[in-house]
Amino acid sequence: MTSGMLQNLLDPAILFFVFGVLAGVVRSNLEIPPAIVKFCSLYLLIALGLKGGASLAAGGLPAAGVLALLAALVMAAAIPAYSFLLLRRIASPYDAAAVAATYGSVSAVTFIVAQQFLTSEGVEFGGYMTVAMVLMESPAIIMAVLLASYVRSRDVVPGADRPPAALSMRKVLHEAFTDGGHLLLIGALVIGFVTGERGQEIMQPFTVDIFKGILAFFLLDMGLLVARQLQDSQAPLNRHLLVFALLMPLLNAAIAFILAAVLGLGRGDAVLLAVLSASASYIVVPAIVRYAIPEARPGVYFTMALAITFPLNILIGIPLYYAVSGWLWG
Amino acid sequence: MRALEQKKLLTLIAPHSLQRLLIDTAKRCGIGGYTAVPATGAGVGGLQSGGLGSDANVVIYIILSEARLLTLLPEIDELMRAGYRVKAMVSDISILPRKGDSEA
Repeated sequence: MTSGMLQNLLDPAILFFVFGVLAGVVRSNLEIPPAIVKFCSLYLLIALGLKGGASLAAGGLPAAGVLALLAALVMAAAIPAYSFLLLRRIASPYDAAAVAATYGSVSAVTFIVAQQFLTSEGVEFGGYMTVAMVLMESPAIIMAVLLASYVRSRDVVPGADRPPAALSMRKVLHEAFTDGGHLLLIGALVIGFVTGERGQEIMQPFTVDIFKGILAFFLLDMGLLVARQLQDSQAPLNRHLLVFALLMPLLNAAIAFILAAVLGLGRGDAVLLAVLSASASYIVVPAIVRYAIPEARPGVYFTMALAITFPLNILIGIPLYYAVSGWLWG
Repeated sequence: MRALEQKKLLTLIAPHSLQRLLIDTAKRCGIGGYTAVPATGAGVGGLQSGGLGSDANVVIYIILSEARLLTLLPEIDELMRAGYRVKAMVSDISILPRKGDSEA
């Protein structure tokens, strides 16, 4: 496992992430313009979608792929449910619903870094895993909004007129499914699937040749962001929430591995399922939760997902999950 | 020079993801004009660095008459009571009206 971790840490993109954290910690004025960061995140989603779609067109959807998608759906429904039950004991119900949503959803960048890691290790995985990622993005949001609505319906302050209900489920679903990044990923996946191998060849200079460089650039900014979030967020995190942010990814990955083993998934697919289950959304879900569960504190759910769980997965989690898959899959 | 007109300036600071909600709320009160500027900052809601859609702020400026302000402010107040993290500031301003401008 140590060699896998070392290899991961010596990846230029990961080193740029570490460098970004260091630059943020020493309070450097290094800054990447927000518009470029947004471009990089959209680029990564396009490249991910096109590659996944083309791979799906080439390999189709085998039985293992169907099982992987089923496993993804099970994890997407289970994680927010048991997370909420756990969080309910250590946080306000609204914060619990919001954190359950962020941990029930996924981080596309963590998924991309894991794909890169597996490719460098020569471990194969199915293109359908990108579909699995898309499937895992939204159920947690819907479940969290339902949980928050339930809490809200019981949360009547005696003597006070009730605050207005947040938003209708229809509006929230519209926000969740039309979120720009989410929609772009689905669009790129469909385009990659329709254009297949020829499309992949045409797009190669854009989606493959410069991919690693753009990923490094994005991770540099993420490193800066993680350091600044930790220093300046004024996050009201208690010890229990910190422990949750550190241990929940490991528990989710362990459950994903058990499910993958039971379903007989291949090693690469199992690692990606574990990474998806272990990751937390820090872009799509926090943006929707601000809108759908306004009572929750962004300083809690955003800081946990971005500043603790994201670096944990990028630096330690991915090589750890890979090593565990080596023991389980031989 | 034409005479300056007395108006109200409503300045809203909110997470970027609430921009559409706020603009729609203003539209329902008959206010179609606004200026939105991306913003960064920090507060009880955490650091808003502006790099990701989820941690970006927006400042919305709306110039309007006092009558329309009194229609819009209760709506904004309702949103704030529901928990939305919005800052609303009102100031008196004098503007050089557009030629032929009447009610904002």
